[in-house]
Amino acid sequence: MTTTTTAPPNATVFGAEVPQPPQHGKPGGIMRHLNFGTGLLAGIVGAVAAGWITAALTPTSASNATFAPTEPEYVYLAVLIGWVVGFMLGMGAFVGPVRWLLGRDITHADAEYMAGKDLGFRRYFKFTTDHKVVGIQYLVVTLVIFALGGTLAMLIRTELGVTWAELFAPTFYNTIIGTHGIAMVIAMIVVISGPVGNFIVPMMIGARDMAFPRLNALSLWLLVAAVVCLISSMFVGGIQDGWSVYYPLAAQAPPGMLGYQMTIIVFAISTGVASVNLMTTILTMRAKGMTWSRTPILVFGVFAASLMGLYAFPFYQYSQILALTDRIWDTVFFNPVQGGSVWLYENLFWLLGHPEVYVILIPSMALALEIMPVFLRRPLFSFNFAVAGIIGVVALSGLVWAHHMYMTGWAPAVNYPFMLSTEMISIPVGFLVLVAIGTFWRSTVWTRLPLMAIYAVVFNKMIGGVTGIYLSDVPADQYFHGSMFVVAHFHYMLMGAGLFGAMGGIAFYFPKMTGRILDERWGSIGLWTAFVGFQITFGSMFVAGLQGQPRRVLQFDDMFNISNWLSTIGAYVIGLGMLIFLAAIIFSWRSGDVASSNPWGSKSLEWQTATPVPLENFEVLPVVTERPYNYGVPDPYEQRMKSLDGDLGPDTRLESDDKAGVP
Amino acid sequence: MTTMTPDAPEEPTNRPAPMHRVREWMSRPYARSIMILTVVIGFILLPLCWLILAAMNQSGAPASPIMEDIQTTIFVFTLISIPITAFVFAVLVYSLLGWKHVSGDEVPADASPAIRGNFVANILWSVITSLLAMFLVVWGLMELAQITANSYGTVSADEQPGGSSALIVNVTGQQWVWTFEYPQHDGLTSDILYLPKDRAVYFNVTSKDVLHNFWAVELGVKIDANPGAITQTGVTPNKAGTFNVRCAELCGLHHAYMQTEIRVLEKDAFDSWVRENGGQRTS
Ligand code: HEM
Ligand SMILES: [Cu+2]
Ligand SMILES: [Cu+2]
Repeated sequence: MTTTTTAPPNATVFGAEVPQPPQHGKPGGIMRHLNFGTGLLAGIVGAVAAGWITAALTPTSASNATFAPTEPEYVYLAVLIGWVVGFMLGMGAFVGPVRWLLGRDITHADAEYMAGKDLGFRRYFKFTTDHKVVGIQYLVVTLVIFALGGTLAMLIRTELGVTWAELFAPTFYNTIIGTHGIAMVIAMIVVISGPVGNFIVPMMIGARDMAFPRLNALSLWLLVAAVVCLISSMFVGGIQDGWSVYYPLAAQAPPGMLGYQMTIIVFAISTGVASVNLMTTILTMRAKGMTWSRTPILVFGVFAASLMGLYAFPFYQYSQILALTDRIWDTVFFNPVQGGSVWLYENLFWLLGHPEVYVILIPSMALALEIMPVFLRRPLFSFNFAVAGIIGVVALSGLVWAHHMYMTGWAPAVNYPFMLSTEMISIPVGFLVLVAIGTFWRSTVWTRLPLMAIYAVVFNKMIGGVTGIYLSDVPADQYFHGSMFVVAHFHYMLMGAGLFGAMGGIAFYFPKMTGRILDERWGSIGLWTAFVGFQITFGSMFVAGLQGQPRRVLQFDDMFNISNWLSTIGAYVIGLGMLIFLAAIIFSWRSGDVASSNPWGSKSLEWQTATPVPLENFEVLPVVTERPYNYGVPDPYEQRMKSLDGDLGPDTRLESDDKAGVP
Repeated sequence: MTTMTPDAPEEPTNRPAPMHRVREWMSRPYARSIMILTVVIGFILLPLCWLILAAMNQSGAPASPIMEDIQTTIFVFTLISIPITAFVFAVLVYSLLGWKHVSGDEVPADASPAIRGNFVANILWSVITSLLAMFLVVWGLMELAQITANSYGTVSADEQPGGSSALIVNVTGQQWVWTFEYPQHDGLTSDILYLPKDRAVYFNVTSKDVLHNFWAVELGVKIDANPGAITQTGVTPNKAGTFNVRCAELCGLHHAYMQTEIRVLEKDAFDSWVRENGGQRTS
C-alpha cells in the first residue's frame, strides 16, 4: 500500500459539498486487491495452517470421555475456524475496522469503490456494499444451496422408491436426510429476505442503500463461509442425525457434526447481522411521507421475519455452541448420563425451530400480498388486517415451541397451554388468508406468472394449514408425531407456500434485478410441472404417514410401498419442473426480453427507478403522498347501494388517501 | 329509482335495511356461483373424513380407547376444516374461471373494484375463524384430559391407578431393539410386547443410549424413551390381535429396523404365556 497523503478536496455528494478525510492511496485502498479469489486462497491457507498446527500440538491420546473426541475432531474444528477466519480476512471483511483503528476515515471515493462503482462484473465477486449487488449475490448463493438440497432430495426419494433394495448405506442415507434438511432450511430462510430484502426493500422504502452497507456485505459472505462448512461436513462423516441433531445421538456422530455446529454458529451471526441491518433500514430510512400505513406490506413481512430471526437464532446458536463444547471439552450440558439434559437441548432447538418456520413463511405470505394488487389492479383487501395478521403471528411465534415436544414426556402438563397457543395462531394466519381471498374477490385477473404462483401458494397453504391443525392437537399428534405425515405437512408449508411464493417473487422482481423479463412460457411450465409433482409427492407422503410410516427411515413394511413409489415418481416430476424453472432463470438472465423499467405498471417506489438501477437508486429522494396499491375503480355495486340506502354501513372507500395520516 | 333486482322487495325502504343488503348480495351472480361451488367442493372433500381413517386403519383398526379417541378427533377436525377450505378453494377456482381475465404484456387498465376492507366481511371472517379455533382448542383440551386420564401415570409404579390390577411394563429402548420387562412377574423379559386384553397397562419407558420413541401404533401410544429418565404412559388394549411397535425418533443407523410386535392376548392366554416363560406371580 502506498502511503501518499494528498490534501483532500471536498466531495460533491448528491449536490452537497462534503469535507473529506485524507485519502490514503488510491480509492478503495487494499480492497482493490481483495476479492473472492483471495478469500478462497486465504481461507484454504487458514484452514490448512490451523489444521496442521492443531495436529502437531494435540497429543495422540488426547481424550478419555465416553464419547471421546478423537484427534481428527480437534483438527477438523481448527480447519473450520481457520477457513472461516481466513476466508473473511481474504475477502476484506476486517479491513474497515482495521482502517478505523488506524484512525483512517473512509473517503467518499473509497465508499464509492466499495459500492462497486465502475467495477463492472467484478463487483459481484468482491466485498461489495451496494445493496443491489448483495441482493444478486444472495440470489445466486440461495440457488446454489437449493441445487444442493434438491439433489439430495432426489437421492432420498430414490432410496425410498427403490423399496426392494437398500441403495445407500444407512450412514449415507442419514447424512443426506440431515444435510438436505438443514441446507433447505438455510436456503428458505434467506430466499426472500436475502435477494428481495436486500435488492428491493431499500428501493421500496425510497432509500439509497441499507443502513449498514458493510454489514450487508458481511452477512452475505458469512453465509458463503457457513455453506462451505456445511458442504465440508459431508466429507468427514456427514450430519447423520437429521437437521435437529438431538443429543445424545449427536454425541455419537462422526466429526461431520462439527461441520453442522460451525455452520449454524456462523449462519446465526450472518442472519443476526442481516436482521439488524434490515430492521434499522426499515425503521429509519423510509422516504419522507412513508408513514406506516403507506409502507408496502412486504416491508412489514421482511421486518417481522428479521425480528423473529433476531429473537430465535441466538437460541440455536447457543444450543450448538454448548453442543460443541460438550463434544470437544467434555462439558456436560446435554449428556444425560453425566447429568446434562436432553430436554434442555430440545427446548433450545425448538425455541429457534418454531419461530423459524414463520421466518420462512411470513415473507412469502407478504410477498404474495405484495404481488396481488399489482396484477389484480386494486388495493389490498384490508391492509390493516394484513398487518394485524403479521403482528399476531410474530407475537405468538415465540410461545408455541414446545408443541414439538408433546411426545417427549418432558412436561405433559404444559401440553395444554402449548396446544392453546398453537391453535390460536390459526387466527392471525386466517387474517392473511382473508386478505388474499378478499383481494381475489371480483378481480379482473392479469394472468402473469408472478400472480399465478400465488394461486399455488394459497392452495398449498390451506392444505399445510389444515394438516397443521391436526399436529397442533396433542391427541392427534400422538399418532402423527415422528411420522411421514409431519414431513408432508411441513413441506406443504415450507415448500408449497414458501418456495412457490419465492418463485413468484423471483418472477416478479426479475425485470428489476436483471433488466430482463423471466421467460413466461418456460417459467410457467416449470412452475406448474413442479406444482403437479408436488401434489403427488407430498399427497402420497400424507398417506404414508397416515398408514403409520415413521420418518427418517430407509426401509419399511411392504404396506407402505405404493405410497412411496408414487411419492418418488412425484419427486422426479418436481425435479424436472425445478430444472425447467432454473433453466428459464438462467436463459432469461442471459438473453431474455429486455424489460422496461416498470413492466408491471406498479405504483410502488422500487419500480419508479430506472433499470438497470443506478448506484444511488434515486437521483432525488422521493416523497410519498399516497397509500400503497392505489389501483382500481370505485365499486359500482357499492355506489349503487349507497344511492339506494343513503349512509348504510361503513363506506368501503372511506379509508381514502387524504385521511391516511400526515407525512 | 326502480327496484334493483328481480326478487327485491316491493318497498325496500320498509324492510330492515341490513336484510335487504343481504338479499341484494345473495342475488349477485358471482355470490351464488361461489356458494354453489363451495358446496360442491365441500362434498368432493367430504369423503376425506373416511379415507383418512381408512388409511390409518390399514395395518389394523384401533385397538384401544385412546386410539379410538384419536381417530374421532381426526375425523372431527377434518369435518370442521372442510367448509373453510372449500370456501377458499371456491374463491380461487371462481377467480380463475368466473371473473374476468386479461393476458399479454400490456399493463391492463385498472378494472377491478377498489375495495379497501369490508366491515361485514372482516367481522364475519374473524368471528367464524375464531369460533372454529376455539372449538378445536376446547375439543382438544377435553380429549387430551381424557387420554391423559387413560394413560399417563404420575405416581410411582405400585401406587398407580388401578393398583395391583394394572399391569406394569418397563420398556427399554436401546440401539436398535426394544426390551419389555414385566416387574410384577419376576422380571420376565421379552422382545415382543405381550399384553392382556381389557386390562390397564402402564409403561415406564427409558433408554440405554440415545433417544428413541416408543410408538405402539394401533394402540395410539407414543412417548420418547430418554436415557437417564423414565417417562410414563399407559393404555388399555381392547382388541386381541397382533400390532406394531415402531421407533418414531431417529436413533442412528438402524432406526428403520427398530420395530417389533405387540400381541394382545385374552386374559387366560396371557397368563399361560407368563407361566410358560418363567414368570411366577400372576394376577
Ligand atoms: C424437490 C423437493 C423436495 C423433496 C422431494 C423433498 C423430500 C424430502 C424427504 C423425502 C425428506 C425425508 C423425510 C424423512 O424421512 O424424514 C425430506 C426431509 C426434509 N426436507 Fe425436503 N424435500 C424437498 C424440498 C424441500 C424444501 C424446499 C425444503 C425447505 C425448507 C425442505 C425441507 C426439509 C426438511 C427440513 C426435512 C427434514 C430433515 C430431517 O428430517 O431432519 N425440503 N425432504
Ligand atoms: Cu412448530
Ligand atoms: Cu429409532
